[in-house]
Amino acid sequence: MRAFLILSLCVCITAALLTAGESDEETYARKTALDLAGAFSNDGFKLRDGHWSGTLEPGTSKVIQVNLFAGNSYWFSLGSNAKAKRLAMNVYDETGQAIAVDLHEERHRIAAGFTPGISGPCYIRIEAIEGQPTAFCLIYSYK
Amino acid sequence: MFPRSRILLNGLALLCLSALADAKSGSISTEELASATVLDSLSIPTPGESFTALSKSGKIDWSSRFRPPIATNYSSRAQMAINLGGLIADGYIAVEARDSQQVKNIGKDIVSLAKPLGVQQEILNRGKSLTDFASEGKWDALKEELEATQNEAKAAMAENKDTGLVLLVTLGGWLRGTEALTGYLSEHYSAEGARLLRQPGIIHFFRERLETLPEKMREDSSVKKIRAKMDEIESALTFPRDSVLQAESVKALNQLVSDLLKQVSRKDSK
Repeated sequence: MRAFLILSLCVCITAALLTAGESDEETYARKTALDLAGAFSNDGFKLRDGHWSGTLEPGTSKVIQVNLFAGNSYWFSLGSNAKAKRLAMNVYDETGQAIAVDLHEERHRIAAGFTPGISGPCYIRIEAIEGQPTAFCLIYSYK
Repeated sequence: MFPRSRILLNGLALLCLSALADAKSGSISTEELASATVLDSLSIPTPGESFTALSKSGKIDWSSRFRPPIATNYSSRAQMAINLGGLIADGYIAVEARDSQQVKNIGKDIVSLAKPLGVQQEILNRGKSLTDFASEGKWDALKEELEATQNEAKAAMAENKDTGLVLLVTLGGWLRGTEALTGYLSEHYSAEGARLLRQPGIIHFFRERLETLPEKMREDSSVKKIRAKMDEIESALTFPRDSVLQAESVKALNQLVSDLLKQVSRKDSK
């Protein structure tokens, strides 16, 4: 059932992206992120429908604020494309201190999982360490 | 000359040490925190996320959080958007309560409210899925469908250059979610549950974005009512990381949000 839902979501999103005129690279980055998040859905994580996308330049980072609830578990999945040789993802609390995460890392996709102990804002920093400028897409799942 | 150089060298050494400490401890600068991207679609949680967290504290009678049906024939588009968000949050509550008839009823109200907002087709496309999933008791699928419904309506609003309405849908959903959360905690207080009410980033986001709405929308009667209460809501939801909201404060917050929602869901509230 979940696999079907993820597949349906992928198809809908791909269609929506194509109609919205997004580039092939952006579409691929989104698909990569969704594929990665699909593994967590099998473990009961519910996928948020929203996403954050753009372009990552090598050696630079981008940060997004998310607002999370204590007790929930989260997986943040970042997808890109073959131009990215190595990605990094770090999570920080609102005081700027790093939060320990479980990392699942492959060449051009990476996921960070954790369970915040305090409700409130957290910051996800993503970075392309090596490679060429690449499209990226960040999504998250929770349970 | 010498003391000045020493001060300069000491300063440089301190800077290097601080940079090293940052790298070692993996901290992030305040500048990066301040300039972080904040997106309606990803930075603001759905009502379902807070309900999932609360459900971990034990079995919750979510049907006790239902509210009587609200009007679906407002004349102000801003009021429609706020209440559309509220209805979607009602959908999440019905899903938590595993009440398929309630999901279907709310689905009908969502479609009624979507029509005058010009997003009916997008909602209709999803409405059938909501009904089907509710009939089949596919509760997890319903949560994802509710968010997808909301996002399709928002995408249509953005396409129609109604970006202000997008914010109001999110705000309406968050207010209704907060009412449900505080309503439950008012009757069954627990420190564990009350820590979910620490939401400084969310309230800051709404406060800031409300002030950037087009003037006509900002001066809408419903929006004005909400803006007038944002200070009080913010002070309740912004508390230190090592404390929780006490039972009396939770009740006061519930009263505040509940009264506010009643006012903005009343037909043609003035």
